[in-house]
This record gives sequence, structure tokens and C-alpha cells, in this order.
Amino acid sequence: MTTKTQTNSLYNWTDERLGLSELAAFARHKTVPVHAQSFWYYWGGISLFLFLVQCFTGVLLLVYYRPGAEAYESVRQITFVMHFGWLIRSAHAWSANLMIFSILVHMFSVYFMKAYRKPREFGWLSGMALLGLASVFGFSGYLLPMDELSYFATKVGLQIPAVIPFVGPAIANMLRGGPDVSEFTVQRFFALHVVVLPAIFLPLLGFHLWLVQRHGNAVPPSEEAKPPQERKSIPFMPNFLRKDLAMWLISLNILALLASVFPWSLGRQFDALAPAPAGIHPEWYFMSPFEMLKLLGSVLPGEAGEIAGILLFTLGIVLWILIPFYDIRKESGQRARAAHYFGLLAVFALLATTVIGYWTIR
Amino acid sequence: MNYPFWNIPYLGSGWVIGIIAIFHVMISQFAVGGGLYLPMAERKALRMTDPETRAAWLAQLVGYSKFFLILTGVFGTISGVGIWFAIGLTHPEATSTLIHNFVFGWAIEWVFFVVELSTAAVYYYTWNRIDQQLHLTVGWVYAGASFFTLAIINGILSFMLTPGDAWLAVAGTGHEAGKFWYALFNPTYWPSLFLRTCVCASLAGVWALISASRIDGDRQPALKTSLVQWSVKWLVPSFVAMPFLMIWYYMMVPASQQALLTLGIDTINAGTFSTVTRMALVIIVTSATIVGVAYYLAYRSPRDFNLSHALSVLLLALIATGAGEYSREMLRKPYVIGRWMYSNGVRVPYVARINREGYLAHSNWVWNGSGNGLAAAASNYSRGEAIFRGECGSCHTLNGYRPLAQLLAGRDRANIGNFIVMLHENKPDSPYRRFMPPMVGTKQDVDDLTDYLNAQVNPSGPAKVLAASK
Repeated sequence: MTTKTQTNSLYNWTDERLGLSELAAFARHKTVPVHAQSFWYYWGGISLFLFLVQCFTGVLLLVYYRPGAEAYESVRQITFVMHFGWLIRSAHAWSANLMIFSILVHMFSVYFMKAYRKPREFGWLSGMALLGLASVFGFSGYLLPMDELSYFATKVGLQIPAVIPFVGPAIANMLRGGPDVSEFTVQRFFALHVVVLPAIFLPLLGFHLWLVQRHGNAVPPSEEAKPPQERKSIPFMPNFLRKDLAMWLISLNILALLASVFPWSLGRQFDALAPAPAGIHPEWYFMSPFEMLKLLGSVLPGEAGEIAGILLFTLGIVLWILIPFYDIRKESGQRARAAHYFGLLAVFALLATTVIGYWTIR
Repeated sequence: MNYPFWNIPYLGSGWVIGIIAIFHVMISQFAVGGGLYLPMAERKALRMTDPETRAAWLAQLVGYSKFFLILTGVFGTISGVGIWFAIGLTHPEATSTLIHNFVFGWAIEWVFFVVELSTAAVYYYTWNRIDQQLHLTVGWVYAGASFFTLAIINGILSFMLTPGDAWLAVAGTGHEAGKFWYALFNPTYWPSLFLRTCVCASLAGVWALISASRIDGDRQPALKTSLVQWSVKWLVPSFVAMPFLMIWYYMMVPASQQALLTLGIDTINAGTFSTVTRMALVIIVTSATIVGVAYYLAYRSPRDFNLSHALSVLLLALIATGAGEYSREMLRKPYVIGRWMYSNGVRVPYVARINREGYLAHSNWVWNGSGNGLAAAASNYSRGEAIFRGECGSCHTLNGYRPLAQLLAGRDRANIGNFIVMLHENKPDSPYRRFMPPMVGTKQDVDDLTDYLNAQVNPSGPAKVLAASK
């Protein structure tokens, strides 16, 4: 038998059992629309790529990381003793930040292309859930080195759930494993970060990707208005895939650049008795909600203000999540315009509060 | 120390040059590479047998040469003058030394500039107006003239890294200009020239992709495919030759400078490697990415290649170029002119004298408390601050780039003092002497600088009272 016939018979054997040719046929027929806004199609793929980097570097860190009382010491060893530990840790931290950034870009581009409309409501909802999970990933991962900065930032961050009426303090205590951030907190966050969150995230991600395959790429309303013969598209295999890979390569380059030129630092070991160092602030992706709550708190002082702030903030997020059920019509109408302005308002509020937040760090 | 200090808070004066220079290099090296690209493309088009393709290529080249003329003739020249402005202000001492040596070199260069700028204009305005062969000849003249501007400036830039023994033997005697050709064709001249020529060719390809990406692939598929693929090929020479040229360049650099790189490679696994090695890594990674991206996005799918793809290649080229120029600057440390002048403008043989007579005694533009009969209050900053500006300010700021307030944070006065004494003694085993000049001056100068830095790092009682009373 020649190599070719051997390969063929192996393929046939596998195909009979797994149905590979159906997959190949599906991939052959899949197309991606081409228009002025095509650039935004890459951001979901970039987010996925950065997530894969997270998994790979995360597993490597897991080999040496020890939660609990030794947490800081083990991160110190990873950063300064293990060969290339600094690189893996930097890549993990930078890709986490880049991933949240690209998910945000992905979300807003989906929003403004109105890609959440029928039949893609589940895509929007699962995407929002993935973003929520990603931010919990970020929050829990941030504490793990247990240096000064992560300790105090987590302490401040956990004050937000604590203001929820009635159940708030109980939730905060449960997350902390006691009234204060301690070794128990790091143990809990570790379990959350490497077991609980991935267990929820991965199937949800699979669902999200399956939906994308099922419905294909949405086109923005300006394209939809065109007659079908004027719309352009390219085959997914291999044309779009090639471009997608080129984008992954660029992302990898930017990640390598950031990780090697600006390696993630490690602060001093936390000291629960020491005063909080100056300039403690949440990570950039939490800056906006943090600042919004602070601003609302200064408008309505006291506990009433905190509760009103949380309620108003939750209301905004709920409205954002439920947008597919409000803006339902294909034709441009009042609701479509309202949704558009709501999106612009959200972008503006996000940027403005983040800028104010950094401006007022003390 | 014959010139005043130009103090740029936060950014640091070095970055003023850096930002202008990276912008300039992106365009000026394109002017050289593009100078070759245009006549080569025109010649290729003129030899085409199919009249339709030929006309399409030529029409595209007319548009491209306009873009070329505006970009290089306006932005390239303005930023070039900008570099002169910036180096004169930030590094007057080094600029003065360069002018004294290379005034003839710059005169030659300006001759080529004039030829370059006029032929670029003639080339664009005479499309389809003069004989085709004559027009092509104008293109070749442009290519030659622009290459010679590179050949001259490359001599001056590589001189700063490796002035060569012949020049160093006469440095400071007033006979330096007699060794002009030795200085110009210094040890790193040839590897550096080949490296830059390769980069020029790549940049010509990268910029040509910007223009080619704007062709409508549906209306002119053949034109777009051939132009995009031909432009990508311009990236090939540098990616084949670059590794060898870099090794050659490295071999020509003095051992003390090689150590900056090898020190980095030895310690790479612990993550404590030097900035120049990090930058070298960035160049390698980014260059590899450019090859991959250009291959997948442009060469394999030329018809779908659009402006944002082209811009992403340009952005990567900007990163690689920026990292390249940055590491060239870093490699020169602790000198601004190799083995002759430290990065803060202090000449190597003057160190002993300044240590004896004091730093400020040799700074003509700094108030030194004598001569004019004015009271001490005439100066609005202290001796320590004057020494800081002169000796540290070329590379450090207080609170911005390489911030001393943060780098020295956590040290008390005694500790800061010990550190400065270590820089002052500059012993052979000091880890800092590889990339930092010695702190020069008398015992009093060391104390004054220590006091000033201590007041910045550990603001004491009186400073707080002052803040509270505002």
C-alpha cells in the first residue's frame, strides 16, 4: 500500500465512526461577510486565542503555585527562581488583561452591529455570562500572589458585595472565609479560579461557539439593507481562517512584547497590620463600576446612597443584558435608535468614569 | 559643559529625540527604499507585454509617487530638521563634537539632499510628459542620491557607537577632522549600512502595501494580485540577511558593549536581563510576525488585502524599527560617543580634572556663586539640583521616565549617599559601570547631589509645612 492509500483508509475508518466529512463539508460551505465593518469580526477570535493562552500559561503556573500561607513565597519563586517563570507569569497576567479588553471590544461591536437580534439572542446572553465570568476570573486571580497591592485591592473590592442589604455581609464573609482577607480567602479564590470557574466557563464557551457556527456572522443593518447580490462574502476555509490566524499572530506578538518589555512585578508581601499603601485602586476593568458607585455615593450620602447606587447600577446592567428583547425589529425604528443611543451612553459612561477614577487616585 | 541644560520633566530629554527620530526613520528609510522601489517597478511595468496590465501598473505608480513625494518631501524633511533641533538642545556637547568632525560630511549630505528632493519632484511631475526612458533615468538618479544620504548619515550614527582607534588617538587634540575618513568608515559602518539598506527595502515593501491595499480587488484583481505579491517580495532580503548582518554587527561592537547583550542572555531565564536584550527579543519576535502576517494576509490572499491589514503590517514595522533604534541607543551606554564622551556629556579624559576642581566649576551656564556679585538667592535652584540636571538628566527624570524618586524609594539619606559614592568611585567591579557614567565631581558635589535627591525621595518636615501652608 502507498502512503496515500494508507492515509485514505485511515481517514475512511475515522470518518465512518466520527463523521469527519460532514464537518469538512460544513467548513467548506461556511462563509464570512465582507464589508466596511468586517474588522470587528476578528475580536471574538482574538478573545478565544487569549483564553487559550490563559489555559496554557495557567496550567504551567499551577505546577509551582501553592495556595494558602505559602502563596506569596511560591509566586516569588516562580518570578525570580524558576527558569522562565517570570515570562509565564507575565504572559498570564498580560493576556488576562488583553482578553478582557478584547471581550469588551467584541461586546460593543456586537452591540452596535445589532448582532444580538433574532435569532442570536442566546449568543448575546451567553457572551454576557462569559464576560461576567471573565471578570470574576480576573478578580480571583488578582489576589493569588498575595502581595501588598493585591491584598488591599481585594479588601476594597469585597466591600462592594458587602453593601447589598441583608445578604451582603454574609456573601462577603463567605468569599473571604471570615471577617478579613487571609490565607483562607486565597484558598477559596484559588479553588474558584482553577476549578469552579473553568468548569462553568468551558461548557458555556462551547455553547457560545456552537451558536456562532449555527447562525454565522451577523451583518450590520447598513449591509442588511443592501440587495443580496451586492453583498460580498469570502469562504471561511481557508480565506478567513488565514486572516484569523494572522490576527492571532499579531496578538501573540503584542503579548510577547508586553510580557518581555514590561514584566509583571511582584510587590512586597502583604501585611494585614500595615496601613494600606497610597494609591490602592481596582484593576482597570473594575475602575468604572467602582467609580460609578463612588460618584452615586457622593450624590446620595450614607447607607441609602450605597444601596441606591447598587440598585441603579444593577438596573443598568440588567437593561444592557435584556437589549435583545427590547430592540427586536429588523427595520430601523425608534427602538433601534434608542438602543443605539443607550450603547453610546454606556461607552461614554464607561470611559468617563474610568478616566475620572484614574484621575482621582490618591 | 559649555552649554545650558535643557530640562524636560517627566518625559526626559532623550525621548524628545527618540519620538522625533523613530518617526523620521520610518519615513527617511522609506525614502531610500522607496527610491529604489519606484524605478524598479516602473522598469518592470515598461517591460510588460500586455498593454492593459502595463497601463494599470503605470497608473498605480503615478498615484504612488505622489504619496511618496508628499510623505518623504514634507514629513521626512521636517522631522529630519526636527532631529537637529532636538539633539542641539538635549545633547549640545555631543552635537558640537559631531559638527566639529563631520561638518564636511554633512555638507556632502546636503548636496545629495538637494538632488534627492528635486529629482523626487521632477519624477512625479514629469510622468507622461517626458520620454519614458528619461523618466526612468530620473528615478535612478533619485535612487542613487537618496542612497548616498543614507551612506553618509550611517557613518555618523555608527561613529557614535564605535569611533575607532584611529580617531580616538587624536580625539581632544584639535586634529580630529584629520581622521575624518577613519571616523566615517568606522568598525560598524559596513554591517550597519547593510542592515539599514535591508530595512529600507522592507519599509519600501511595507509602505507600498499601504498603497496597493487601496486598489479595489474586485474591479482590478490582476493588478492588485501582482502588485501586492511583488511588494511582499521586498520584505524577503532583510529577513534572509538580517540574522547574519546582526551577528556581523555584534562582532564589530567593542567587548564592553557586547557584554550588555550577553549579560542579558545569561540571565534571561531569571528574568533579570538587560533592556537591550529585551529590545533585541522584540525585534526578532516582531520581524517574524511581520513575515507571517505579510505571507498570510498579503501574499496568500492579495485580493482581500485591505487598508487595515496594511496598517497592521505598518504598525508592526514601526514596533520593529522603534525597538531597533532604541536598542542601538542602549547598546552605546554608558557613552554617547563610544569611549570618548559619557551619555551626560562628560568627556572620559576630563573625569580626573572634574573630580579635582568640581563639576559646576566647569559648567559655564550654571550659577556657581561667584563673580557677578549677586547674592546667593539669585539662583532659583540649588547646587545639588544643578548637578542633577547636568549629570543625571540626560537619562533620568525625577518622576517620569526612569524616575529617580521611585528608583531610590525606600532609601534614607545615608543609603542614597552610599549609592552615589559607589557611582563616583566607579570601581571595576561595580555592576553599574557597564551602563552608567561615573558620578563626577568633588566630595562637596557628591554631598550636594545626595542632599538634593534625598529631599526628593524623602520630603522632610519643612517641605510638608510648606505644602500645608499653601
